[in-house]
Formats: sequence, C-alpha cells, structure tokens
Amino acid sequence: MELMYWWLLPVAAAAAACAGWFVFRRGAQGNARRRPVANADRLTSLPEYQAAVRRYRRWLAVAALAAVTLLVSAAVAAARPVNLATIRPEQHNRDIVLCLDASGSMSSADAAVVDVFAKLAAEFDGERIGLTIFDSSAVQVFPLTDDYSYVQEQLEMAKDAFNGEPGSSGFLDGTWNGRGSSLIGDGLASCVESFPATDGTAQDGTAAQDGAPRSRSVVLATDNFLSGDPIFTLDQAGVLAQERDVRVYALNPGDFDYGTAAGQPGALLRAAAEATGGAYYPLDSPDAVAGIVRDVQATEAAAIQGAPRAVVTDRPDVPLTAALLSGLVLAGATWRLRP
Amino acid sequence: MTSLLLRVKSKMSIFAHRKARGILDGEYGSVFRGRSLDFDDLRAYVPGDEVRDIDWKASARHGSPLIKRYVAVRRQTLMLVADTGRNMAAESRDGETKKDIAVMVLGVMGYLAHRHGDVVGLVCGDANGSRTLPAKAGEAHLERLLQEVDSSTGLGSGPSRLEEQLHHVAHTVKGRKLLFVVTDELAASPGLEQLLRRLRAQHEVLWLTIRDAELSGATHSPDAFSVADAAPLLGRIAASPAVATAYETATAERDAGRHAMLRRVGISEGHVANSHDVMTELFALLERHRRAG
Repeated sequence: MELMYWWLLPVAAAAAACAGWFVFRRGAQGNARRRPVANADRLTSLPEYQAAVRRYRRWLAVAALAAVTLLVSAAVAAARPVNLATIRPEQHNRDIVLCLDASGSMSSADAAVVDVFAKLAAEFDGERIGLTIFDSSAVQVFPLTDDYSYVQEQLEMAKDAFNGEPGSSGFLDGTWNGRGSSLIGDGLASCVESFPATDGTAQDGTAAQDGAPRSRSVVLATDNFLSGDPIFTLDQAGVLAQERDVRVYALNPGDFDYGTAAGQPGALLRAAAEATGGAYYPLDSPDAVAGIVRDVQATEAAAIQGAPRAVVTDRPDVPLTAALLSGLVLAGATWRLRP
Repeated sequence: MTSLLLRVKSKMSIFAHRKARGILDGEYGSVFRGRSLDFDDLRAYVPGDEVRDIDWKASARHGSPLIKRYVAVRRQTLMLVADTGRNMAAESRDGETKKDIAVMVLGVMGYLAHRHGDVVGLVCGDANGSRTLPAKAGEAHLERLLQEVDSSTGLGSGPSRLEEQLHHVAHTVKGRKLLFVVTDELAASPGLEQLLRRLRAQHEVLWLTIRDAELSGATHSPDAFSVADAAPLLGRIAASPAVATAYETATAERDAGRHAMLRRVGISEGHVANSHDVMTELFALLERHRRAG
C-alpha cells in the first residue's frame, strides 16, 4: 500500500494546524463578546450543571475525534492510496487457423481437433480463430474471427461432418475439385494465406487497429500422405509460413515412419513444422488431441507473454469508509452539541 | 473626567422631588438615634467636674448630683466599605455593571453624610489587599472616593474577597463608626459571620447587596463568562429545565443563608438590582434599620 500524492499529507497537516491556530486564537478572544458575570459558582457548583457539562464534554470529545478522523481519512483518501503490483499480463492477441486434412483417414483426428477447439473457444477472449479444410483443394469454412458463438456452431458442424453424422456431408463440399487428394502443401499455403498481411495494411484492418502484434499459428492435422501434384510442395508452404511469421503445429495421426531416415512423410512434416518454429506431434489416438492442443496453447501463451508491467490499483475504500462513518458521527455529535 | 458626585446629586434631586424633600436626611440622621452617643446623657458627679455641668433638676429628682454629658460637635464618621475586585466589574441582574451601581449607592450615602456634616472615609480593595482613604469632609473628598472606587474596579483587578476588607476594617479602624458595606451576593459562611459579629460589636453596620446577573432561567443571556476564572458558562446547559430548577433552589438557599446570617448579627440588609432603584432601596434600608434599632 503506497500513497500516490504523499505530499498532500504534510500540506493537509499544515492546513489543519493553521485552521486550529486560527480557531483557538479566536477562542482566546471569545470572552470579548460574552457578558462578565460574578459568583458563577452559584451555577457551576450545582451537581446538575456539572453532570451536564460532563455529558457536553463527552460529546465534544466524540465530535473532536470524529473531526480528526474525518480530516485524516479524507487527507489519506486525497493522497490516493494505491496498490503497486508488477504483473506479466497474459495476452490474448493470438490468431489460430485450424488447417484440417479432410481425407477419410483423418476424420477421427479432425473430429478430435475441432471438438477441443469448440471447447476452447468458450474460454477465448480476444483470440481469433479460423477454419480451413482441404483435400484436393482448400475450402475456408470461416476466416479468422472472434465471433465465438459462430465459431462454436461451425466447429460443432465440422465435428458432426468428420464423425459422419447423417445430413452433414455437405460440409465437406468443395474439397475434391482438384487433381489428386491430400494436397498438403496447397492446404497449408491456403491456411497461411488466410492470415492478414503483416505490413499493417490488412484487408480487415484489425491488426493495424490493434497495434499490438498478433501471434500466428496453424494447427495442421494431416498424415502427409500426398497423392497428386500440388502447386505448393510442403517445403514451399513451410517457407511461405516462415515468411509470414506463422508457426505450424503439425498433428499426425498416422505416423508410420520406420527408422529415422529423412524423406519419410512423418519426418518431412516434422522438418517443415519445426522450420517454422512450431512443433510436430505424432498422434497415437484421437484422445491425445486435447492434451496436445493445450500444450500448443501453453507454448503459444508463453511465447507471447507481454513485458512485465506495473499495475496501479486505487484502494480508496478504507479511508473513504472511515471518512463516511466519521462524518456521520460528526453530524450526530454536532446535532447533540447544537447551541 | 465627569463628576461622579454630580451624577449622584442629580439622581438624588429627582428622588427628592418625588418624596418629601429632606426625608432622606432625616432617615440618615436617625441611624444613630437611640444610641448613647447620640444623646446627652447623665452620670454621677465625680470631683473635678464643671459645676455648671450639673443637671440640677435631674439631681433633685435623683437625690445625688448628676453631670450632663454631651458631645459639643457631634461629628460621625461614615466608613464606606467597597469591594473593588473584578466581581464588581461584572453585570448586575438588570444588565448594568455592578460597579456603576456601587458608585451610585456609595455616592448617595456619602452625600447624605456630607449634608449631615459627617466625614466620609473609604476602605476598598480586592483579595490582594485593602486600601484606606481616611475620613474627611467635603464634596471634593467624596468625589475622590468615588473616583477611587470607579477607577480601581475592572476586569483586570484582583479577585474579589470582601473578608479581606472587613478584616482590614477590624484591624485598623478605631472608634465607633457607621460602616456602609457595598458588595454582591456573597454566600454565608461561619468565618464571615464571626467577622461580622466582631465588627457589629464595635460599629453600626449597614449592608447593601447588589444583585448578581441571573445565570439560569428565563431571563439569563446565554453568552456569559465567569470573571473569577474567565471560563465561559454553557448557556444551553444552564437553560435546561433540570439545571434551571436546581439553580433556582440553590440561589434561594444562598439568599436565605445570607439574610439569616445578617439578621443573626444584627445587620440591616438592602438589595439593589439597578441604579434606578438605588434611592428607593437605600431609603427602605435606612427605614428598616431605624425600625430595627
């Protein structure tokens, strides 16, 4: 607990001393306007009078105490008591694009990812999330947005579609337009492209308005089994992600690499992900997705924690309450002491 | 400096127009009436007495020679005893300064004595000490006495203590005098009663009480301070019914105690609350004293 304007206290004390001196100096001359009377013991020796004077003095003491308390508490409140604390604020300026491979082999992992993000979206505050699904061609289900109810709705629909619920197959329309299947490089490139430009002239302008840089991450769920001829290779897409300052977190439910040789699908995906500053998670079962996503979230949160900041919290409640109470007491005592 | 005596005389002349002229002088003269000093008296003849002083008729009736004894010039001494402590600078019951009333009372009494051919002296002072101004005749001397009382009484004077002046009189004043004591509402005390008994044995004593301001009840003014210690009195408390009742009782007891004490020692007492009533009250006091004597 510290006082912001501590110098107000000596000023208030000096003002109170001046006022007190002025009043008591006038009090010393107070008999000038009173009438002199002799043999005052006719009155002052009466027990009734003495008892009344004692009562009067008690109320006077109460009033004086209340006045001093009021003065002190008001001065302390005016001196602005604050709590100074240093915190590292957790920032919520993250952009996450879910980049899901919609090929049939991925559906259970995709369902797990969207399920986890549907739950996370309920706790989001400032983060933006987008969803892009790809197979032979990429479809942006929804761009980066902070409309979390819409996000949840869409993610629920995606979950239903990935789980093969009846009537939800239309969700995946448009992902088989190109040649081949699982064109991962194209999908990742599409996801990276869905981030606004970094030069401050974003299409939607939010990044420029915020001022604060936003971290960008792609959660890429794929098994990296390419069949077809993509426009972007995985490496090219990884380079594009690096240029855009996007970290790629890759989830691979079908890591069937044998040994440590490079060139296998899992190893390529790991290399591409780690080149962007992200990470690679081979997935043993869809149940592990939740833990991995939280892990990713924690990593991201730690990476973008803000600088330590001094936080000033005003704490005027105690002195102001004391001032209020003593003011009430003073009013009551003054009413009792009215001439 | 305005003449205090002139003020006294104008007050008396107004009074004299209302009452029969000269009646006050008669009242004053009768203070000593019936006392042996006032009369030529007779005593047994002793060798050496003037033969022409023998009262032949009385001797014939008595059977042995008696001598006529009288004072050739009967010149009484009026001794004014005044309190000039700061009590007298306070207000009287009707709002005047008690000192002004005291000066008026002393002036009237002194002027009556002057007209009667008596000499007037003054004993005044406060708790710190007493002064005696010796008895002399003449209006100028009387004026000087009044000025002394007027100028030495103030809020800066010492505290009042009439016993001090009465002790001073008892120790320094020789012979039989007429003491005229002007003070305020003293409380009776055994010490004071003894002192008065002692003075009464030697002197003729008249006592005039100047009423003090009311401290409680309907007529008192709320802003007042005690001259004894400069402490303000709390008017709102004094006005409360319980205190007012107790004050009324206590004041009545105090007055009754003083009356009883003065009656026991044979001193006539008068009361005056403002300077308008001075003549009436003084007349009543002298009348009362004459009847009591």
